[in-house]
Formats: sequence, C-alpha cells, structure tokens
Amino acid sequence: MGSFLASRLMTDIFGGLATGTVIALIALSLVIIWQSTHVLNFAQGAMGMFATFVGMNLVFHGLNYWWCLALSVVTGMALGALTERVLIRPLYGKPEINPIVVMIGFLGVLEAIIASIWTTNISMLPSPFSEIYYEAGRRTILVSPFVIYEVIVVALVLSGIALLFRRTNLGLQMRAAALSPEVSRLLGVRVGRLLTFGWALSTGVGTLAAVIVSTGQVLAPTNMDGIFVSAFIAAAVGGLESPTGAIIAGVSIGLVEQFILDFWSTSVAPLSGVIVLVIGLAIRPQGLFTRQVSRRV
Amino acid sequence: MSSLRQRFPSAWRLVATLLLLVLAVALSFVLSPLDDSKLAGGAAISIVILGLSWLIGWSGQVSLGNAGFMAIGAYVTAIWANHHATSPIVWSLVLSTVIGGLSGLVLALPATRLRGPYLAGMTLAFSFAVTPLALNWRGFTGGSGGLFINFLSTPAWFGGLFSGPDALIRANAQWPADVTLVVAAVAFYFMANLFHSRVGRAMRLVRDNEVAAELSGVNLQRARTLAFVISAAYAGLGGSVMTLLSGSVTPQTYGLTLSILLLTLMVLGGIGTLSGAILGGLIYSYSDNLVSLVNKVSGINPTSTLGANLKGIVFGVLLILTMMLAPRGLVGAGAWLRRAARR
Repeated sequence: MGSFLASRLMTDIFGGLATGTVIALIALSLVIIWQSTHVLNFAQGAMGMFATFVGMNLVFHGLNYWWCLALSVVTGMALGALTERVLIRPLYGKPEINPIVVMIGFLGVLEAIIASIWTTNISMLPSPFSEIYYEAGRRTILVSPFVIYEVIVVALVLSGIALLFRRTNLGLQMRAAALSPEVSRLLGVRVGRLLTFGWALSTGVGTLAAVIVSTGQVLAPTNMDGIFVSAFIAAAVGGLESPTGAIIAGVSIGLVEQFILDFWSTSVAPLSGVIVLVIGLAIRPQGLFTRQVSRRV
Repeated sequence: MSSLRQRFPSAWRLVATLLLLVLAVALSFVLSPLDDSKLAGGAAISIVILGLSWLIGWSGQVSLGNAGFMAIGAYVTAIWANHHATSPIVWSLVLSTVIGGLSGLVLALPATRLRGPYLAGMTLAFSFAVTPLALNWRGFTGGSGGLFINFLSTPAWFGGLFSGPDALIRANAQWPADVTLVVAAVAFYFMANLFHSRVGRAMRLVRDNEVAAELSGVNLQRARTLAFVISAAYAGLGGSVMTLLSGSVTPQTYGLTLSILLLTLMVLGGIGTLSGAILGGLIYSYSDNLVSLVNKVSGINPTSTLGANLKGIVFGVLLILTMMLAPRGLVGAGAWLRRAARR
C-alpha cells in the first residue's frame, strides 16, 4: 500500500489534486460573478491578493493565523462589494468589452499598489499545519496535513455555496435576479443589493484561495497570476454558468498540468492551460457543462 | 478639404499618408537623437496598437495575446538577422509579419469560435505562456539572456546628408528611426484602405449584428479568423521593428504587462481609429515624461517604492477612467470638442 501511494502515478495524482482544488475554488468564484452580473473578473486574483496582504501581513506582527485569515476574507468581501458599486455598476448594458477592459486596468492598478505598499516583506507566510509530506517506509507520499486541510476547506466552501444557492431564500433570490432582473424587481427582490452581495461573496472565496496559495510562500503581488489563468480556463471549459462544471474542470486541470509536467516536457508545461482550453472548447464551444441555449432571430 | 476627401477617397489616403511620413521624417532631422529614438519607438508600437485596434474596434474581439505575437516577430527577426547577416532588412520585416500572421492563424482556429470573455481569457493564457516558453527554448531564443543582432548599417547616401563633426553618429542613430517611420507609414496606409474596403465593412457588420452578417453572405468564422490573423501580423511586424531598433530581444519584454499596456494605449488613443493608434504611439513615447510629470505634481519621491510603481498605477487609472468616462478615447473627446465649438 505504502509503495503504491508513493508511486509516480499516485504522486502526480496527489500533486495535481492539491493544485486542482485551489484552481477549482478560484474558478467557482469566477462563476459566481459571471452568473450574477455576466462580467468576467480579470482582477479576481489581484483583488484576492490585495485582501491577503491586508490581513495576512499581520501574521508577521504577531497576530494569530486564523484571525488574519478572517480579516483577509472580510477585507476581500468589502473590496468586492466596493468594486461592484464603483467600477462595474455604471457599465451594465454597455458593450461586453468595457467591463473586461476596466477590470484589466484594475488588475494593473492593484498589483502596482500592492507592490508599492508592502515591499519589505521577504519572509514566508507560515502555515498553520505542517507542510511536511507523509512517508511510507523511506518513500514520500505527496500528502501533508496542510494538503488535507486545503481539500477539506475547499469541500466545505463548495458545499456551503451549493447550500446557499439551492436551499436558502437568499440563494433563490440571487438566482432569480441573475435569470431575470426585471421580473425579480417586480416581485420585490432588491436586485442591486444582490449583485453587490454576489461580488462580495465571490471576492471572499477568491481571497480564501489567495491565502491558501500564499501560505508557505513569500507574499508577492503576482502570486495569483499563474493559478488565475488556470482557474479562468477551468471556468471557461466548465462553461462559466455551472459551479459543478467549474469544480470538475478545475480539479482536472490541476491533474492534467501535473501529468504534462511529469510525463511530457517541462518546456511545454506553460502551454498546458492553452492545450486544455483548446481541446475542451473544441468538443463543446459553449463549455462542457452548460445547457444548450438556442438563439432566436 | 472634406469634399476632396469624399470625392477621391483612395487618393486622399495616399496623399495623407505621404504628407504625414514626410512631416515625421523631417521632424527626425530636427529633433535630438533621444527624441528620434522615442519617436521611432512610438511608431513601432503604434503599428501593434493599430493591429489591436482593428481587432477590437472593427471585429469586436478582445485579445490580450498581441505581445506574444510581437515576441514571435521579434525573435524571427533576430534569428534571421543572425543567420543571414547580409540579406536586406525588408526580408526580416516580411518574414516576421508572415510568421506572426501564421501563428495568429494557429491560435485563431480555436480562438475565433469563442466569444468575448472566453477569447480574452484564451489569449491571456497565451500571453502568460510566452515568457516561460522563450526561457525554456534556449536553442532558438538564447534563454534568459536573449539574442543580439548587429545594428542596421547606414547606407552611404543617407550618411551623405549629414555634415559636421558628429555626422556619422547622427546618421547611424537616425537611419533606424527613419526606416521605422517608413514601415509604419506602409502599415497605416494598408490599414486605412482595409478600413474602407469590403472586408472592413463586412467586419463591422459581424461586430454589430451577426445574424445580419450571415444573411448577407459573410462567413462569420472566416471573417473573425481573418481579423485575428491581420492583427497578429501587425504585432509580428511591430516586434520585428522593435528588434531592429533596440538591437536585441529578451523574453521579459513581451509578457502580459506589455499586452495590458498595448490595450491601455489603444483605449486612450481611441478604439478603431488610425489617429487613435498614432496618439497611442505618441503616449507610449512620452510615457516616462508623463509619469515624471505626475511625480513632480504630486510630490512623490521617484526613488520610493511608490515612485517605482507609479507607471503601473497611472496607466491603470487612466485606462479605467477613459473606459468609464470617454470610451472613445482622445479621438472621441477631440470630436466632441469640435462639435461643441461649432455649436
């Protein structure tokens, strides 16, 4: 058993799962925003990273990891709500490239601001759980307590979000507002507030992912760049509409990237995201997990 | 004036291009070598901006991958120049344009099936891959050190135009700048004609109303692919000129940051217009002056970390403000002012 768990195949699977779950989390946060406001948030990674800097930097001043985590998520939610109100709300009904361009600008601004505020930080963000991999005999199994924590957190968040949308009144109203804002308004749903809440929720989830990504690493403004691209690809392949699709695609991309890295070539590895996207969208251009929408003339 | 423009549109475009070119070349004789190189850098970037402007403004597709196509053009020129040192530069320009366009075709095959955010994300992924790929494929790209080429040799007749003690230095500095201006003029002339051609009109219909376009016999897929390929070819040409100007290529130059900068410059100038692309190029040339002006006005210490990151902040804020308040950029604002003055 031990030697099987430490085999090359299982090592790749564990490694892929560890990144794949985080990718799935960010992909989910993108889907939440897309579902409520039909904006693809290119600044999602940077917004999460900004909130992470605000909260987690206090770890270095002696504050407990979990308090910092809570502070980061709250900051993230506030930033998300503010962004929706100030930057996104005036753009509803404009051509779809306008919010894309604005959020790309915001990405640039945030990364520059982070880099100019927190510069002296070169120490690693300590992990609340051990990051030392388990061993079987003398061979390493690519699972550590931190990886287990990571997977549990992701599973909890995913089921929480699913419960929110399926079982609560708030979730029902959010779904109604996304599906048909006009009718929802007539029925007394405060659509504007729900859109803001959707952004807050999404950025909160994104911040949680950013904290997980940054734990055990040096805090850097660009920490989220690479993984955001993978998450975007997961959301796109999953169809942007479907939370389940985003999660399945996110985990799969983590696995595929790991296998390409190990079995094919490190030179091709940067392209693995593009490869997955091309193949996935060649099969179904509207995403693997969306219902077919017919277009009327 | 405007009636002449309407009666002989193609002649007008040729004359206007030539006049602008003559003006720019004349300027390059008057300006200092430093301003010359800024002018040339702006002209090179404006070629790429024009290609992006065509893609976004005319076909309605967003690309964040044009810095990647620039990298391809830049490396093709450097590799070709190092293997065929004696061949005329026009071949490196043509080759970079063609290979840039062909790689655009490869990316367009899946990309043009995608709409808006999907396409932007796909090109974003491509943009992210460029620098690591260039670092990994050392055999072609020289790895992190990049590639160096010899500077363009100045022809004797051009050197003969200069006199004085530093004639040779000035001629050598100015020749690449003037070559760039000529290349940019050709690129702009071609695009001016493309805007007013059948293809250009079809492209606008594809952007505004897919169904109407399909019903009038436009093949959507082919139109979008063509727009993407032309845009990539322009980026390849721009990258090639950048290599000729700087004499080197490094992988770090052509990352996502440059793609975002290109988008910013295009939006600031004005989406989908020739003059917008020229303005975008000029803003690029004098962006450092702009940032140091902001520095001076706001009293931020340029050596502080805030000062070091000021460029990113200034351009990001400008991009957001332009998109929210004046989505047609400086060109649109200019048109608005003219209308207001007439009233």
